[in-house]
Amino acid sequence: MPRISPLALMALLGGLLMAASHPVILLYAPLEEQMGIIQKIFYLHLPLAWWGLFSFFLVFIASLLFLIRRDYFWDTLAEAGAEAGLVLAALTLVTGMIWARVSWNTWWTWDPRLSTTLILSFIYAGYMLTRGLDFSRERRALISAALGIVAFLDVPLVFFSAKLWPQTMHPQVVTGPKAGGLEPEMKLTLFFCLAAFGVFWAALLILRCRLGLAANRLEGLRARLALKENTPKEQDHG
Amino acid sequence: MLLRLENIAKFYGERPVIRGASLELAAGRTLLLTGGNGAGKTTLLKIMAGLIRPDSGRLTLELAEGEQVGYLGHRTCIYPELSGLENLFFWARLHGLKPGRAALLELMERLGLLPFADERAGIYSRGMAQRLNLARVLLFRPALLLLDEPATGLDTRSRQTLEEEIARAGKAGAGIVWISHRPEEDAAMADEVALLENGRLSLRPAKAAA
Amino acid sequence: MIRPALILARKDLTLLCLRGNGLSQALLLGLLLIFIFSLARGLAELFSAQTAATVFWVSTLFCQVLIFNALYALEEDNGQRQVLLLIPAPVQSIWLGKALAGLALLLAAQAVFVPAVLIFLDQGLEGRTEWAPGLLILADLGLAAAGSLLGAIAQGRAAKESLLSLILFPLLLPLLLAAIRLGAGILSEPPAQEDLASWFRILIGFDCLFAAAGLVLFPFIYNAQE
Repeated sequence: MPRISPLALMALLGGLLMAASHPVILLYAPLEEQMGIIQKIFYLHLPLAWWGLFSFFLVFIASLLFLIRRDYFWDTLAEAGAEAGLVLAALTLVTGMIWARVSWNTWWTWDPRLSTTLILSFIYAGYMLTRGLDFSRERRALISAALGIVAFLDVPLVFFSAKLWPQTMHPQVVTGPKAGGLEPEMKLTLFFCLAAFGVFWAALLILRCRLGLAANRLEGLRARLALKENTPKEQDHG
Repeated sequence: MLLRLENIAKFYGERPVIRGASLELAAGRTLLLTGGNGAGKTTLLKIMAGLIRPDSGRLTLELAEGEQVGYLGHRTCIYPELSGLENLFFWARLHGLKPGRAALLELMERLGLLPFADERAGIYSRGMAQRLNLARVLLFRPALLLLDEPATGLDTRSRQTLEEEIARAGKAGAGIVWISHRPEEDAAMADEVALLENGRLSLRPAKAAA
Repeated sequence: MIRPALILARKDLTLLCLRGNGLSQALLLGLLLIFIFSLARGLAELFSAQTAATVFWVSTLFCQVLIFNALYALEEDNGQRQVLLLIPAPVQSIWLGKALAGLALLLAAQAVFVPAVLIFLDQGLEGRTEWAPGLLILADLGLAAAGSLLGAIAQGRAAKESLLSLILFPLLLPLLLAAIRLGAGILSEPPAQEDLASWFRILIGFDCLFAAAGLVLFPFIYNAQE
């Protein structure tokens, strides 16, 4: 019997949980009185946003660790985190726009959270572009790490300035002064969705990270092979 | 010991460029560093300068207070819009010196640049620009002088000046590591020759190499 | 660290003034942007102070990218970067030197952009004009610190101006938002309820963040690698 990798199990679990989250959202969670059915997109929107932001935090931590340890594992992890974060941030924007269209009758309006998400997407898109440049591996890793750190430190400034900008209102559902407006069933649904997306996110991240590590290894093997061909008489290639 | 490398290794990506290089260089000694194209000579020299961080191994530089490392490559490091003299003033001040105009002009005279001291460095020939570059390094009397094919593309006169000054710096007590584009001729000026091949460094006395 | 930075900044300013090209490119691009935006106004319409302030700062941003690209390109022509890294001073003095030179050039460019905005976009100075020096200094400090840090990515000509702007602009957005609101408040009387002091706090926070980032992270970005 072939061994099932923990990653496959995780992906399977994530998929099942995400599939299960739909009946929970649609059937179990009560209907919000004022916003109606559209409010249910919130159970997708918020986990996407949270895990997206967490990905960027992971880029920050991995970047710091790379600069301290100079171990390329952290560089690969940062890349994986940025990619996962970008995907989730893009989905956050899409779900947010659908929600805005229905509840405010506009696809886009200045809202601190949505605007912050958009700005973050731009920042990390720039980060990914930098990673794609033709640098030596060491230099790319160093520059990316520095960028990953600056980018995350910029997040609070982006958020506060977006908040200060003249704006419309965004429903503050979980935190803030008007917190507590969430029914227990809604909270439970939210946590279920957070967990489901979390497992999915972690599987995605690990998969992307393993891909990056495999690519590194392949490059190493190729380099070793090239060296072997160039120096046929040498005995001790490590 | 002025400079000591212990088991230095450096990778580009996954490709090993230098695998366990060790050497020692005493003050006043000249080491000629040879090896084929792409053997990693420049990388090793930059590691000695502290410009590139090795992936493993130890680099020890024993410099007294105020002693500095000079790096002379084949690129001229001149700012073409500034005059030769202004170029030197700029570098001298960055190296923490406060030279008078007279001292700089004297140095330029020694290198045959005096008539062009106030000309824009942009009009200098390659040989003149490289002599100006040499003056930039000689300014602060480096305790360790690293040369990366400085004589490439030079006219005979400039190359002679360069070699004279290298010998002079060596006599004055500087340790010199020299990558030459024509190692056979220049081996005569060195105390030792090191060969970098397949990422490994082998040493031999200069006489055997010549 | 200060002394080498000043020597470097002085050399950079001399070179760019003698060369002329880099600086005039930046100035022309900014002026052109202001002029082109003036076309957005229909007959008998007025530009709001906010529009004018936005145009002003967008011109400044493009100018900043060109300036820092030109400043770092100075060390690439003849391999100066390698030996610049060997001077007996912390690497950060290069960051500081380029930032100071960039700051001076930004202020010089804005000395042209301010009248251009007043003329082409038909604005008056009818708001809190006493804030103008503070706004310009605080915003330009942030632009210089960030531009000098990230401009170093262009070392070795791997990154073009277009890429530099893609990396820089999103990071600069907090500064840009603050500068636009404050700029609008200088051109016309700001609404009483708006908390303009908070915008100054954002600017100061931004300056501190990028000053710290420059001091800590610059050596990782600017080094001897090709």
